[in-house]
Amino acid sequence: MPNRVGIDVGGTYTDAVFIHNGRIERTAKVPTRSVDLVETILNAFDTLKIPDEQVINQITVSTTLVTNGILQDQLPSVELLLFSGHGMSLDALPWPVNYRELSGEMDFRGREIEPPDQREWEKLKSDLREGPTHVAIVGKFSHRNGLHEEQLASYLRQLNPSLNIALGHEWGQANFYRRSLTTYLSIGVSDLYHQFVQQLQTAVTARKIKAPISILKADGGILPLAKLRPIDSIYSGPAASVLAALTQLETTASCIVVDIGGTTTDIGLILSGVPLLSSKGAQIGPFSTLVRTLAVRSIPVGGDSVIRATDQGFILENYRLGPAYCLGGNIPTPTDAMRYLGLIDYGNEQLAEEGLASILPEERRTQTFLYELATAIIERMVEKIAEAVDSLKREWQEEPAYKVWEVLHPHVNQAFQTLVSGGGARGMTTALGKRLGTPVQLGAFSEVSNALGAAMARSTLDCTLHLDTYMKQYRVEETGEQGKWTGSLRPYLEVEGFMDTLVQKQAARYGIMIQDLEKEPFDFFPIVQGSRTVGQIVRGAVHLRAGVIGRVHV
Amino acid sequence: MKRTGILFFPAFDWSLGDFHPEREERLLYTQEQLFEEGVLDLPQIKQFSPCVASIHQVLRAQALLPNPRVHADTLDAHLIAAGSAILLGEARVRGDIANGFVLARPPGHHSGGTVWGNRGFCTINNEAVLVNHLRARLGVKKIAIIDTDVHHGDGTQDIFYHDPNVLFISLHQDGRTLYPGTGFVNEKGGPNAWEQTLNIPLPPGTGDEGYHYVLENWVLPRLQAFAPDLIINSAGQDNHFTDPLASMNLTAGGYGRITELLQPDLAVLEGGYSIEGALPYVNLAILLALAGEDYHHVREPQKLDRPVLSLATIKPYIEALKKQHQTIKPSFTIRKKAFFPTGNWIYSPHSVYYDTEGFQENRHDYVRQCNHCAGTVYIESDRSPHKSILVRIPFQACPECEQAGYDLWDHLLHHSDDCISGLLQNQLQDKFSVWHRKEGLTLF
Repeated sequence: MPNRVGIDVGGTYTDAVFIHNGRIERTAKVPTRSVDLVETILNAFDTLKIPDEQVINQITVSTTLVTNGILQDQLPSVELLLFSGHGMSLDALPWPVNYRELSGEMDFRGREIEPPDQREWEKLKSDLREGPTHVAIVGKFSHRNGLHEEQLASYLRQLNPSLNIALGHEWGQANFYRRSLTTYLSIGVSDLYHQFVQQLQTAVTARKIKAPISILKADGGILPLAKLRPIDSIYSGPAASVLAALTQLETTASCIVVDIGGTTTDIGLILSGVPLLSSKGAQIGPFSTLVRTLAVRSIPVGGDSVIRATDQGFILENYRLGPAYCLGGNIPTPTDAMRYLGLIDYGNEQLAEEGLASILPEERRTQTFLYELATAIIERMVEKIAEAVDSLKREWQEEPAYKVWEVLHPHVNQAFQTLVSGGGARGMTTALGKRLGTPVQLGAFSEVSNALGAAMARSTLDCTLHLDTYMKQYRVEETGEQGKWTGSLRPYLEVEGFMDTLVQKQAARYGIMIQDLEKEPFDFFPIVQGSRTVGQIVRGAVHLRAGVIGRVHV
Repeated sequence: MKRTGILFFPAFDWSLGDFHPEREERLLYTQEQLFEEGVLDLPQIKQFSPCVASIHQVLRAQALLPNPRVHADTLDAHLIAAGSAILLGEARVRGDIANGFVLARPPGHHSGGTVWGNRGFCTINNEAVLVNHLRARLGVKKIAIIDTDVHHGDGTQDIFYHDPNVLFISLHQDGRTLYPGTGFVNEKGGPNAWEQTLNIPLPPGTGDEGYHYVLENWVLPRLQAFAPDLIINSAGQDNHFTDPLASMNLTAGGYGRITELLQPDLAVLEGGYSIEGALPYVNLAILLALAGEDYHHVREPQKLDRPVLSLATIKPYIEALKKQHQTIKPSFTIRKKAFFPTGNWIYSPHSVYYDTEGFQENRHDYVRQCNHCAGTVYIESDRSPHKSILVRIPFQACPECEQAGYDLWDHLLHHSDDCISGLLQNQLQDKFSVWHRKEGLTLF
């Protein structure tokens, strides 16, 4: 697929790139008009000026729309119904939304402990009979057995066929709390997402472009528009900047990716060519989710962060109040420090000095003190970034281990390099390299790096199998598939073949090209009753990790 | 906020045998339960990742006989469990956490001062290694270990029997009805640590009420009198009414209450083999109680439908046991070998059966009576056809006891005709020398 377009629909700007045979041919940056996305996208295509749009093979889009929709509380009301069972009190954890608890309980192997109580369901009638409403139904251990969820859903559908219902067991990972909130968000953002899809398609159709459209996910993979679970599109921005770095690195490099923006800096980690995944799901505002995401740190420091004078010197604030002083703003910023030191060549030199001087008491406004101050500002910023890098490395090194083998083979520290992109990147390279102790490379096309990452992204695939041969059932975490196992009680080679079939099926369903599969060794747990093995629990996983389809030539 | 550390190490790739209770599956459902409940998302819970204990750390508490090298191939999982206990213990003492739960396999409380192999599923005593590490490296002085496993914590008792700075209390099903068959009220500690060991054997059938009564009316007052710097709970879960190896009647909620009463700085998993019916719920209740969360909604699916000993039955039993305990006065045998340094040496012989591999160890223990310190210990350990020696110079040893230890060690090195090996466990200097007839001296 030689011709690819990447579009990053951000809150303020929409970026786009056109890539032909691994060469960035055109880039565009246009303002995002959230009321008229069709117009915004058409505008982006106009600016790209692709000679023949018919030759485009693939369009990939990353967007903060869903993220912002959640953070700005634009979701419709969702009725959250929980089969919460016994265990930890629900209010031990912070619930950002209301819920109703219903009776009915499963255990960890999907056995019914207590059936649901239909009389409770009767009481839901009055609230759910009217109009189209969004409903999320989630049971504790529903990822082991979704029966109660299915039963309630079909009861409610009979009551009101226009109900829009999401079931928790479609999110097949453990964690009832996160599964509940993920299911809630998933149904909550569906309207918003579908509206976005429609606008996207309208724009592309208007240009008579036939290329398929994919969306970038938080884990750095892409999926066709229609196959994506809407909530998976959150946080694709930081994932895109990590992917953009991948397009510029040796295939097995280990790299710290630093993307310095105006107000925030995103930091990611690439280990031997593979971006680090977070061991927990994404956190979005008050919602803890099961959404698989790259491990990234976003810290509130950037080129436009406010610098305020204090008795002891200065404070680097975690907010922005307009552009840098040297670019016509009212407040001194790290950008002014970079300008003063000659690390960047944009902005007015005189103004930069003036801005910095306002931090110093009048008697110290000399070149020596100004130089000292500017250097200290850069160092302060570098220190904040370095702390986030360290915390990310710790997350990687201190991943919990549940097997002897894992403990005896810990992660070894690798030789890292650093790739810096974003507006303030150029001014920070030297200081960052010194503090992090790594070689530093400046990212190419850093003003459109998210679009670049999106354009070059490939699919990811994860298939985690949980097989209980005694209960004769299997579960797939990522798809929520729950099926009957008809194979032997102690499968060995059989389970490998079964896994292959599952992966093929999943790849076909989502239109994913299978390549570079990474197989985790299976774990076999003999189930013993008395002194007899009566079955096995088998766990295993296959991954197609986040990556890019190739390198770009700068 | 009260922070609770958890170190979850289920050793999913390790077992003592295909059908052995101590197998891969043991903490599988506990993992399912804890992860599904979302306990790791509780803001006050901090998860730690496991680490490996060193042989040096093990030798501080236990002699690996005939020498550590012989055990090398079988120790990995045990060293991780012990190392994990150390890691969380350090976090507690440094104040990073208010308390913690070492939810790790394999267990350790049947493993004693001399180790020839695995017994009662244990090879390394996780709590003992932890306790001596905290004393040697973090300056902790007085530590109490409360063993609430259904089996007598005979290994832990053995290691600290002469140690006045460690209070060891074990509550367990009466040794006349259960492995390992020890832990009676007359086992009250050595001459230098009299009353620092307390055994409370309970009748089969004891339930929540009875157990809590004993804690409130006997264990807690004793604990308070000792005023330890740190409390460690050897948290075995085999008192649960579904346990296949024992006959007690505790519930998951009952375990939550035990934790609430003891307020341990660290809970360390020991036994518990009802892996589906009890462990997921008991572990959850303990963790919630440590984290200061409500554990009353934790309920095992199976109903308790067998007779539980009533409080009315337990109370008089306990009162009688207490009386019996009080009447037992110290009575020791003074005996020494010709080459022993000066002082009164108290002799006690006993034998230890290694059920996992099926052999016997015969021990002849001598401790130097001392008014100033825990007293130097000299142990001859016979595991036919071999004989090994342990010489222990205790923490805060007085000069005389320290010298006595060196003299005994010197004697072994020069007149070792019938011994294959020995360990100089110099807790005072934190130095551990292993001598082996064929391999010579090694310092750990």
